[in-house]
Amino acid sequence: MTTYKSLALRGIAAGGIAGVASALVQLLVTEIPIRAALAVEEAREPAGDGHSHGGEELVSRGGQVVGGMLAVVIVGIAVGLVFATAYALSKRWFADRSPFSRSFALGAAVFGAVALLPWLKYPANPPAVGDPETVNYRTALYLGVVAAGLVIVWGASWLAERLQAQTQPVRVTAVLLAVAAAVAVVLVAFPAPPDTIPADMPVNVLWQFRLSSLAQLATLYVGLGVVFGLLIDPATRRNKASEKAAVA
Amino acid sequence: MTSPAAHLSAVRVPKWAFAVALLGLIVTYLVLQENGLALGASSELLHEFFHDGRHALGVPCH
Repeated sequence: MTTYKSLALRGIAAGGIAGVASALVQLLVTEIPIRAALAVEEAREPAGDGHSHGGEELVSRGGQVVGGMLAVVIVGIAVGLVFATAYALSKRWFADRSPFSRSFALGAAVFGAVALLPWLKYPANPPAVGDPETVNYRTALYLGVVAAGLVIVWGASWLAERLQAQTQPVRVTAVLLAVAAAVAVVLVAFPAPPDTIPADMPVNVLWQFRLSSLAQLATLYVGLGVVFGLLIDPATRRNKASEKAAVA
Repeated sequence: MTSPAAHLSAVRVPKWAFAVALLGLIVTYLVLQENGLALGASSELLHEFFHDGRHALGVPCH
């Protein structure tokens, strides 16, 4: 018998584990282009844009590296709780599959909706890119794409259920076409990113950062789906004792 | 029963689950987006401390 509480506790554990993995990707991979971008920012320091990263700031560079990793772990745990709740509520999401497959597919879908889709429309930018004047506008656009992505995932699940009477190849093709059309509409309908990339930002630093960011997001969300699936699937449990150990 | 469907229908979601999910969203907001709206002056310290994580997770920043 599965209770919401047991799912929520596993969501916290899975989110924490995926968060630590993503934080390690950040430390070992994403920090490299972040350091390069901060050097670009420092080179133009005399102008002073009000947002300090180097010199006399509130938090030291070492503090920011640790704080940045902590942020990813905290977000992982918080997203894990939301993920477990969505999983508990999702009655029709791949209802005929095993809990592991359902969780893995949900993690992959969430990655697509809240990470890959916004990344395609508004690619992540390193420090030294981004006009403080437009941050609220950019945040609204970003959250709009995230919301649209979640609606697409929900709609795909709804459509798949509506087409239950069709054969599986027809159903899968119809859902894929509908998702592709919806993604195309979102990418076209949302306005272009408002900020231009400053000329002093090397293009390889920019894209190394963007790809690192995507790898880190995939680690977080797909990792969450995989670890949560491992923790909840009865097939991974040998007996009651190991089930208790998984919750603790 | 061992079928996945039976496993599924066994999950009963209590009302407080929505409060828990909301808490998760609020924490995510505070870490990734807090620009002074909810916490005022102390937010700048938080903002700078979580700085690298916000950039790395692709959230719009300054």
